Amino acid sequence: MTPRLLVPRAQHNVCVDAVPPSAPSRADLRPIRLVVTDDCERSRLTVFFRGILAVPHLVWILLWGVAAFAVAFVVWLAVLFEGRAPRTLHGFIASYVRYGVHLGAYLALAANPYPGFTGQPGYPVDVEIDPPQTQGRWGAGFRLVLAVPALLLATVLGGGFQGGGSTSVDPGLWTDGTSFGSLGTSIGGVVAIVALLGWFSCLARGRMPRGMRDLAAYAIGYGAQTYGYALLLTSRYPSSDPSLVHPAELPEHPVRITVTDPLRRSRLTVFFRLLLALPLFVWAMLWTVAVALAAFLAWLAALATGRVPRPLQRFLAAFVRFLAHLDAFVYLVGGPFPGFTGAAGSYPIDVTIEPAGQQRRLVTCFRLFLAVPAFLLASGYGGVLLVVAVLGWFAALFTGRMPSGLRDIGAAGVRYNAQTRAYMLLGTDRYPNATPFLRGKARSEELALNLELGVDPVGEAT
Amino acid sequence: MWVATARLLLEDAVPDSLALPRVDIDATFGAELVEDARRYERFLVIDWIVAQVVLLAVLWVYAKRGVRFIAQSAAGRIGTGMMLGMLGLGIVWLVQLPFGAAALWWERRHDTTEIGYLEWAFGDWLALGASFLAISLALLIVMALAGWLREWWWIPGAGAFVAIAALLTFVSPYLVETKPLGDAGLVQAAREYEREQGIGEIPLRVEEVSGDTSDANAYATGLGPTRRVILWDTLIDGRFDDGAERTVIAHEVAHHSSRHLPKSLAWFGMFALPAAWLLMRLTRRRGGMQAPEAVPLALLVVAVIQLVAAPFQSAISRSMEMEADWKALTSTRDPEGARELFVGFAETGLGDPSPPGWQQLLLGTHPTLADRVAMAEAWKVMRTP
Repeated sequence: MTPRLLVPRAQHNVCVDAVPPSAPSRADLRPIRLVVTDDCERSRLTVFFRGILAVPHLVWILLWGVAAFAVAFVVWLAVLFEGRAPRTLHGFIASYVRYGVHLGAYLALAANPYPGFTGQPGYPVDVEIDPPQTQGRWGAGFRLVLAVPALLLATVLGGGFQGGGSTSVDPGLWTDGTSFGSLGTSIGGVVAIVALLGWFSCLARGRMPRGMRDLAAYAIGYGAQTYGYALLLTSRYPSSDPSLVHPAELPEHPVRITVTDPLRRSRLTVFFRLLLALPLFVWAMLWTVAVALAAFLAWLAALATGRVPRPLQRFLAAFVRFLAHLDAFVYLVGGPFPGFTGAAGSYPIDVTIEPAGQQRRLVTCFRLFLAVPAFLLASGYGGVLLVVAVLGWFAALFTGRMPSGLRDIGAAGVRYNAQTRAYMLLGTDRYPNATPFLRGKARSEELALNLELGVDPVGEAT
Repeated sequence: MWVATARLLLEDAVPDSLALPRVDIDATFGAELVEDARRYERFLVIDWIVAQVVLLAVLWVYAKRGVRFIAQSAAGRIGTGMMLGMLGLGIVWLVQLPFGAAALWWERRHDTTEIGYLEWAFGDWLALGASFLAISLALLIVMALAGWLREWWWIPGAGAFVAIAALLTFVSPYLVETKPLGDAGLVQAAREYEREQGIGEIPLRVEEVSGDTSDANAYATGLGPTRRVILWDTLIDGRFDDGAERTVIAHEVAHHSSRHLPKSLAWFGMFALPAAWLLMRLTRRRGGMQAPEAVPLALLVVAVIQLVAAPFQSAISRSMEMEADWKALTSTRDPEGARELFVGFAETGLGDPSPPGWQQLLLGTHPTLADRVAMAEAWKVMRTP
């Protein structure tokens, strides 16, 4: 399988589900790039024993981590004096980072084969790391401080692999993600939830769900960028832009997101963002009461007829859209103050919900229980959104703009929440898809035909 | 009709013939305390004046330029109006912060508050959140009515605000954490005062504020079945003698027996109606209150109206407090207890016993401490055969 990489710097001001990525440009390639060639097939036996099988690796990465820490200190001194890391030491740390990616992917079920112990390239979830480049001395001198925001995001994503001294699937046990106090592998945050859910899914189906695999790979890739930056492999700041992961394929889903946000932010509305949202919160609470009743009626109707009546469907869809607008506003993914009605197309971060047709009665009957895993993952995305909001708040206050990478991973979180709510409220019986991509290769034949004919497939948003 | 209603509301139990004797302030309160209190209040008043000037200046600028923030809204007419209203309050809050911090610094320096800077800043955020919700609700009512009734919104609008004020007054006892008063003697005294003033039993509660301030205070709250008298725990911590504490209770019971809370609501309605009309007239050139463009200007208009109405509101409040003082004296028959209380207020809160006339006119919601002592003296004289 040919490794295919990454990295178009996409148009950050306009992006939509199912818009094909622009052509990768060599100039835009980042120094640490994620390469995913995994086919999602999993061996049930190795999945079942995955944690135990990884024990030798955990011991090994701990030892390697101690050495890498010492080497990183030498590299730090070298960069301070010479402006560049020695090639041999750079290679040593690069191998360590790569090995961490392999092990992280293995533990998170983002890849199947047992990884090697040397961090050699070629693993199904891998990183390519450029040779040493000249680095600014000031940036290197304060590297750890500068890395703190990225480390925060890496922590909630849980794709870190060098930060913790223990292996844990509990985000709360990620004890020293911002220090080099102890080195090893740690999985937390979103990736921990993906690993937990993926474990059951792989045992049942022998495959890792594509969306969850993509999310885990993205998180691990971001962790690699972050620790590569902290360990002086590169001076390029990590980017959380999901479009940097390739190949990005978007599954068809009836709940889609449209992003037409220009990234500019009014500092005043950013400063008071949470307080400005208070009336929206109150309104959401009041609306929720009516929605609970409507959802129950919709559930009864769907059980009886296999369909949700259109008026109820429209009412529930408006609520899902309103909450998506609210999420986007509160977490700074969107700029303007949203409306109270959840009107379609009224907000630059908008969700489109295709009207649901016939729904399977069995799925409808147990919808609440079936939604539990999606809610778990939504809580993970919630942590990511929180960090996006905190980092974005400072960034937007200083620059008057929201960083595009943060905005985009935030938009992915808003979409996942919307898909989960739509699923729970019978807006669709399609299970939420965890993929972090906002743009991807067109997969529907109709869309491909439209593109060939030069027809804009998504109308106003492109 | 307005004047007739006002005259009716201003009727009270204080004898028309009452003439307050002159009180030797230095002898009554102590020259040193008076000087300290004057210095203390002078700073706070100057701080307040500058804060008001800055407030009006900022609202003036916001009234002129705030419309540009409409671009930051994807909401409809009312939602955008709410956002503009909240942003206006947010800006005001930001520019008022230094004055609030200065006042807190001054109070901490004089040990009249225990609140720390962090606690103040955090509490201020909560208060700001509450004011954001309040202005959102107000704008929702006004803009919805204006969208429907156009220039006639001010009549039902004023009524709606009075209704909300009445609701808040009714539920306010439940919004404060209190516990029953444990002192059986004071409870027994309260029952006597209630009988004497001709009203039913009113629960006595205690609110813990000693962690925040050393000021002593009490207040009457609630309407009908929710009526309460709430004492701050700083009032019953032993610094005041039994007579002073009984005077406070009799005073608060008098607020209820004189129906001061319903009367306050009536006054609110009487001010709200012309104020709403004025708001309607002055926001016409911005499209009226149905248009979000009018909201920044409306904030300025409301601030000016509040400032202009302040002397009248203070005068009404002073009249009610005076009546409560008089009824308390009549119930307790203890002018020495009242005197002890008012001197104690000056000591614990560093209140100026005799502030400048303009200050009292603008900000004095209670009679001056000197006047309150004078009333106790006057009552004693009137009771002496």
